Amino acid sequence: MNIKLLMRTGLVLAAMALPHLAVPAVAQTRELVVAQGIDTSGFDPHAHTTAAIEAIHVNIFDYLVMRDGKGELQPALAESWEQVSDTAMRFKLREGVLFHDGTEMTAEDVKFSLERPAHDESVIQHSFYDTIKEVEVVNDHEVIIHTDGPDPILLNRVSRIGSGIVPKAYVDKVGWEKFAVAPIGTGPFKVVEWRRDDRIIMEGFKEHWRGAPVWDRLIHRTIPEDSTRVGELISGGVDIATNIPSQDKERVDASGVATTKPWPSFRVMELFVNMKEGSPLADPRVREAVELAIDNRMLIDTVFSGLGTPVRAAVTPGLSAVPMEYHNTFQYDPERAVELLKEAGYGPNELTLKIQGPSGRYPLDVETMEIIAVMLNAVGINTTIEALEWSSYNSRIWTPNNIEHLALIGHANSLQDGYHAVQRARCGLEYSDKTGWCSAEFDELVERSAVTVDQEERAKILAEAFKMLTDSRSIIYLLQLENIIGISDKIEWEPSPDEQLWMYAVKPKG
Amino acid sequence: MMGYIVRRILQMVPILIGITLIVFVLLRVSGDPILLMLGEEATPEQVAQLRQAYGLDRPIVEQYLIYMRDLIGGDFGTSLRYNGQPALEVVLERLPATARLAGMALLIAIAISLPAGVISAIYRGRAPEYIASFFSVLGQAMPNFWLGIMLILIFAIGLGWFPVSGQEDRFAVVLPGLALGASLAAVLTRLLRSSLIEVLNQDYIRTARAKGIRPGAVLARHAMRNALLSYLTVIGLEAASLMAGAVVTEQVFAWPGIGLLAIQAINSRDMAVVQTIVILAAVIVMVTNLVVDVLYSVIDPRIQHG
Repeated sequence: MNIKLLMRTGLVLAAMALPHLAVPAVAQTRELVVAQGIDTSGFDPHAHTTAAIEAIHVNIFDYLVMRDGKGELQPALAESWEQVSDTAMRFKLREGVLFHDGTEMTAEDVKFSLERPAHDESVIQHSFYDTIKEVEVVNDHEVIIHTDGPDPILLNRVSRIGSGIVPKAYVDKVGWEKFAVAPIGTGPFKVVEWRRDDRIIMEGFKEHWRGAPVWDRLIHRTIPEDSTRVGELISGGVDIATNIPSQDKERVDASGVATTKPWPSFRVMELFVNMKEGSPLADPRVREAVELAIDNRMLIDTVFSGLGTPVRAAVTPGLSAVPMEYHNTFQYDPERAVELLKEAGYGPNELTLKIQGPSGRYPLDVETMEIIAVMLNAVGINTTIEALEWSSYNSRIWTPNNIEHLALIGHANSLQDGYHAVQRARCGLEYSDKTGWCSAEFDELVERSAVTVDQEERAKILAEAFKMLTDSRSIIYLLQLENIIGISDKIEWEPSPDEQLWMYAVKPKG
Repeated sequence: MMGYIVRRILQMVPILIGITLIVFVLLRVSGDPILLMLGEEATPEQVAQLRQAYGLDRPIVEQYLIYMRDLIGGDFGTSLRYNGQPALEVVLERLPATARLAGMALLIAIAISLPAGVISAIYRGRAPEYIASFFSVLGQAMPNFWLGIMLILIFAIGLGWFPVSGQEDRFAVVLPGLALGASLAAVLTRLLRSSLIEVLNQDYIRTARAKGIRPGAVLARHAMRNALLSYLTVIGLEAASLMAGAVVTEQVFAWPGIGLLAIQAINSRDMAVVQTIVILAAVIVMVTNLVVDVLYSVIDPRIQHG
């Protein structure tokens, strides 16, 4: 055998083989998986009112103004703004912002995005934007929003559900129905695929104006069953899981894989009181007795394992123009409650009140009613409970104003403003129709707050209104709900108080 | 036979009409979907506006006639929950997931019940029968949501052999299939056992044994063919009801099939989707019943359909 030939052949073969022996560079795909109990109903930003759906949308769409982790308003698609008159605000738009299809965002897109909810009465978000009369395009990067009368909470409106900016050209081309399944926004993630009630697969948008997100992929999974969602979190299948049941909190914290954090919500649980003529609660002493009989702190500790904050009004941190002295406070005096009932002519067990409420609509809603019933029993008030499935409760009791005595409900505050918390208690509006409470003085205060642009002055006016509503006890406020969110130990993230899952802020540890 | 099949198909029509009417009325009297869409912050004006936009302010009879007119034209309506997406499209895209889960559940049920049923019939009165019966009763007694959660805890979280939920992984269908198939396996085991015991006591089986045919051949060639008739019937019927959606199992395992869609559509009073699911389920059940009946006469020529 010719050695030289053999060596040459060997060298050639080795040279041919070498590229195949090299270990290919594996692209590391950074993937973040989030699990909630519900799926989006679509991606039309004006077609829903649900915080949990917006928690998905905030990754796809940006607003003109966004709230930071402390709830403070910060520039986003608008770099700056100024009030030019009582009914007009100028917004200077950020330049070079791209939509997911590569087109540049301009003032026309802002006009299109905000005028639809403002003018189209058929969209669900319309009533939150109907103060907007026109969005005037000054130039490609400047708009003036004109309102029907002074609108002191315009900034709240353009930083919430329904104000995501969408591309006019794309929607004109495909229509809203197609947009609702194949959206385009300016957000840090773009939708690649939506498998209904399963998952939404999103890709990091590398040209995002804040810079490329650290995650290549964001997957939002729908896992309706609480125990399954917890199981996925502790087995590492998901990185963030919302609404962890309080009984699983310790299990998650002990797993060594994930940790729970409190996640306050804007939702306040309330008892609406029928104080119309003929009801025993028409007597203010009976209403006061009911409030004094309820130990809000014990209710929270017993039913919600300590998660929640007692309140005496619909106030939570993060809302503008609300008197925070009603937060983290309650009145409990069962002896005084018994005295008041006696003064009102009711001895022990001579008064029976019905507590109505939904079953399964809010966390531990039935248990809340049961504990309240026990507390009322303790001061000598007999109780019956009527708990109905949400749709039945809504159609038969809540909406037609069929409250017999006390009705449990939970109200959030999607405008994040004090006005929104109280304005429906005006005469002839929903709260007043349900409770029978009507005060011209209260109405005047609320209406004045709606047109007062000076925020300090406005806060003072609303504080008076809140006091009147709380003192009336037409609504007995119970607690601010607090959810629990589970977060993998592999990531760093501080959940924001507005229930939004803005995943751009999540970073891997280390 | 053709006449029989045609008659059965024609009989489906009034049944479907009756079903659509009942579901239509029940959905509309059980809650308002507009209130559910708008939530607690809805104003009466908004509610009235949206009701009008969706045609829900019209008299219920008029709504039904419009619905039936559209249905005959192939339009199953649009989903309220999914912002106007066609209801049929929303439902049909769930069929593959449901079919996969139903298929696995049936496979598991057959794989367990065939040997278990045969063993408990052959070894009647002895330990193998008692063991098979014990598991059969256990399978029927365990609620399948509890079984599902236990399977997740042990095999997914504890041992890590299977994913916890979803359908991404190719083995993801095993645990939900087992949860769903366990109680069906129990029913089929008991059914096969009783059928086989009855058949094994027949004269022709005694004759076959007397002729010296091996026990295995007696079982396979003579006994099983007759014992399997009712077994196959039940499998056929169960397949149909599995295809209509396994609500609880799909909820526990976050399996995006028709069952999960149904419960969410009902909760949100997404009328068009609920109606579409009901119609589809009814058609599947009726067609399956027909197929089973026809197959019966093919398998057993003594059974004739006039």
